[in-house]
Amino acid sequence: MASRAPEISTMVPALAPERAVTWPKRTRTRLTNGLEVVLAQAGSIPKFHGELYFRSGNALVSDRSTGLAEMTSTVVRTGTAKRASRQIEEDLRRLGADLGSSAGQDTSAIGFAGLSEFAEPLLQLVNELAREASFPENEFERERRQKLEEVKLERTSPGFLASERLRKILFGAHPYALVSPSEAQVLAYQREDLQSVYGDVYTPENGLLILVGDFDPQGMLKLIEKIFGTWSGRKPGSKEFPAPPSPQGRRVYLVHNPGSVQTQILVGCHAITRKHPDWVLLGLTNSLYGGAFNSRLVMNIREDKGYTYSPRSALHPLRQHGYFSISAAVRNEVVAASLTEIFYELDKLRSVPVPESELGDAQNYLTGVFSLGLATQEGLLSQFSNVELNELPADYLETYRDKIRAVTPAELMAAARKYCDSANLQIVVVGDRAQIEDQAALFGALEIVDNQGNKL
Amino acid sequence: MSSLHIPIEHATLKNGLRVVVAPDSTAPVVTVGVYYKIGFRLEPQGRSGFAHLFEHMMFQGSENAPKMQHIKLINSSGGVLNGSTMYDVTNYYEAVPSNGLERVLWLEADRMRALKVDEENLRNQRDVVKEEVRVNVLNQPYGGFPWLDMPPVAFRNWANAHNFYGDFHDLDAANLHDVQKFFKTYYIPNNAVLLMLGDVTPQDGFALAEKHFGAVAAGPVPPFADPAEPAQVEERRGKVEEKFGTLPAMAIAYVLPQRRTPDWNAMALLDQALHGGRAGHIHRELVLEKQIAVEADGGVDDIFGYNGPSQMTTRILHKPEYSGEATLAAFDAIIREAQQNGVTEDELQQIKIKWRSDYYSTLEGGRGGHMPRYGLMHLLACFTLFDNDPQLVNSVLEGFLAVTREDIQRVAGKYLVPQNRAIVFRTPAKAKEAA
Repeated sequence: MASRAPEISTMVPALAPERAVTWPKRTRTRLTNGLEVVLAQAGSIPKFHGELYFRSGNALVSDRSTGLAEMTSTVVRTGTAKRASRQIEEDLRRLGADLGSSAGQDTSAIGFAGLSEFAEPLLQLVNELAREASFPENEFERERRQKLEEVKLERTSPGFLASERLRKILFGAHPYALVSPSEAQVLAYQREDLQSVYGDVYTPENGLLILVGDFDPQGMLKLIEKIFGTWSGRKPGSKEFPAPPSPQGRRVYLVHNPGSVQTQILVGCHAITRKHPDWVLLGLTNSLYGGAFNSRLVMNIREDKGYTYSPRSALHPLRQHGYFSISAAVRNEVVAASLTEIFYELDKLRSVPVPESELGDAQNYLTGVFSLGLATQEGLLSQFSNVELNELPADYLETYRDKIRAVTPAELMAAARKYCDSANLQIVVVGDRAQIEDQAALFGALEIVDNQGNKL
Repeated sequence: MSSLHIPIEHATLKNGLRVVVAPDSTAPVVTVGVYYKIGFRLEPQGRSGFAHLFEHMMFQGSENAPKMQHIKLINSSGGVLNGSTMYDVTNYYEAVPSNGLERVLWLEADRMRALKVDEENLRNQRDVVKEEVRVNVLNQPYGGFPWLDMPPVAFRNWANAHNFYGDFHDLDAANLHDVQKFFKTYYIPNNAVLLMLGDVTPQDGFALAEKHFGAVAAGPVPPFADPAEPAQVEERRGKVEEKFGTLPAMAIAYVLPQRRTPDWNAMALLDQALHGGRAGHIHRELVLEKQIAVEADGGVDDIFGYNGPSQMTTRILHKPEYSGEATLAAFDAIIREAQQNGVTEDELQQIKIKWRSDYYSTLEGGRGGHMPRYGLMHLLACFTLFDNDPQLVNSVLEGFLAVTREDIQRVAGKYLVPQNRAIVFRTPAKAKEAA
């Protein structure tokens, strides 16, 4: 706690002058078929990392079923016109490669990494998966059966139950409310549904290929043109989604998980997207509140009070909307006490200017951690992906640190007042009803559901 | 074939502290680690979980950097920090922009010299650790499976067989005297290695190490209990109830050959053949082809990072309509196949390429993107503390790439046998879900 923190010892060595932070040069191109390509050289190891993104995910096809883009991505890797599933997996190993296909609300992606010496055959395989996936009937059936077990299993995870509930509360009829399909939806998936999503989404005009690693960008670009250049396909049309609700007043949702020996708290409200001009400011606010080890929330409910091991706050940027959340898994006896501190720290940020020195520490933290991503191919790939997928300005990485450093205590307080909507925060607790119901009810009107979402 | 050579220099201070520097100035970032050669395997009897609780105490304050300052100093220098307790080592590490290097070294030296913690700190971290155990084990489906379930079934020596996260009774019994005694016994420079990787020259690194750590007093060589196991003569089995999960699970573990022997090299590649992702025999057979299991993965965890009995462990979650015995029979058929036919030459080549590729990623690799060179740090530390040779990082790959098909078949026959394995069944408490 601030009141207990002693001054930094005079023995602590001062920071040396900072070395310049230079991001590797990016080669950005659009092929004639519309595929965007971003390349950056980074020779830390003789490998390269890549992502082939498509700018559509579960949300776009949510009117067909829930989680359909994700299921599509799962089956994409199980067969192509030229290779059966087993061949694909063995070929990957032969190239020293890892590959994953996945989808979220806004994007579908094939991510991969492999030895530079085998760049060409790996890109050929990625190309096949993106263009010629064959959705073998038996592979589809197996993956659907697997998915059925997964959706049963995830309902036993407190973290899943909490985030599923919060998303429902914040997004209502918007597809962002749907984080996972029901068992009935999985059973109703058809192979043709997946093929239709694949046809709509996996097109060059909808695509973005980012590669980072040990290669010559000019040679790599030629290779990419050779492999992906003959591909064609249009971008899918966009869709209008219902506006999310704006919940007024604090409400409490208790997900009853019998036998829980701990309570998962998750509190949240709407916030902003990455493209929003206040993103950097709100990121700093979050970092200071609960986004770093040295943040107010962690120092309070972990290091001072010992209520929890892993408290944190986070911003969740989606393409159309964003939200802010605070989470902590706490022992059952201190649910009310933890919520009290969560609100106390938030309200303090909204009503008392942050001391300059504390702001300086948080600014140093964010600007420093930002640079750590420079040292690995994956770190670079993740930063470049962030810029491209969110259509951020081309100089975003180069100017981020200056923007962080320019924030004042007054701006930070204004951001907390505007976005950390204390009075209307929605509260989810996942735990054993008998242990925590009385405490939860102290914070607002209480609704209790079971782990299937049925009202109790 | 591409290759990778890591420049490494090492030295030993007068107090016995080993110092390893691996310079690379590409990015203005440096990773610092201090490894102590003590893990949860050899924590005191009656104090299960103590090595890990103690690790938490190392963030609670030292003579010139009281509580809250450790975390604040690193975060406000633009860096991240953490620690972890493993079988035979405990590490503390930071990644910072390189202008913060000296500050990190000062802090690590301060807590190596003089840990300063009180009753309130201990009470606080005992509470935090209990919530850590709840969130990772007691309140999670399949929590602690199999890493906490397997040791008491597989091993007979308390060092290998006890609850490494700690029984709450033992955590409650831990006191400040235990803390200071453990600190004085094991947290001495001659039982540690300091690592600096990234944007630092060896010359500067060694000079800074001498400046900050040179005066930390050495201690007597710590006593290490013998972790050797009595000979096993038959398969061992155990049962654990699964409180939340919906699927029956099992784990099958085989004790590994002696570290850094030809058998160990071969076993690592056999492990890759069996557990190497979706192409691995076990996932391929049980999940993709026979479709008995929903998950089947595992393998040797951290092959370079242990210094006592360790295992190759398969973790299976299977469909309720298959019995545990039927699932085990399918698993055993895969093992028999490896013993009878080994791997093909083509597969061996695939495995070697993948092993080499994975090794490079380990060296570069981070934790969560924010901790560059975590893997290189870990290997350098283990090769220094266990083998007294950090340069092994640049040569250890050769032993794996020299493995033959005959070697793999030999170790499959020698080690994948019932009297070298243990099995844990983790069965849902609830009536099984409708299939």
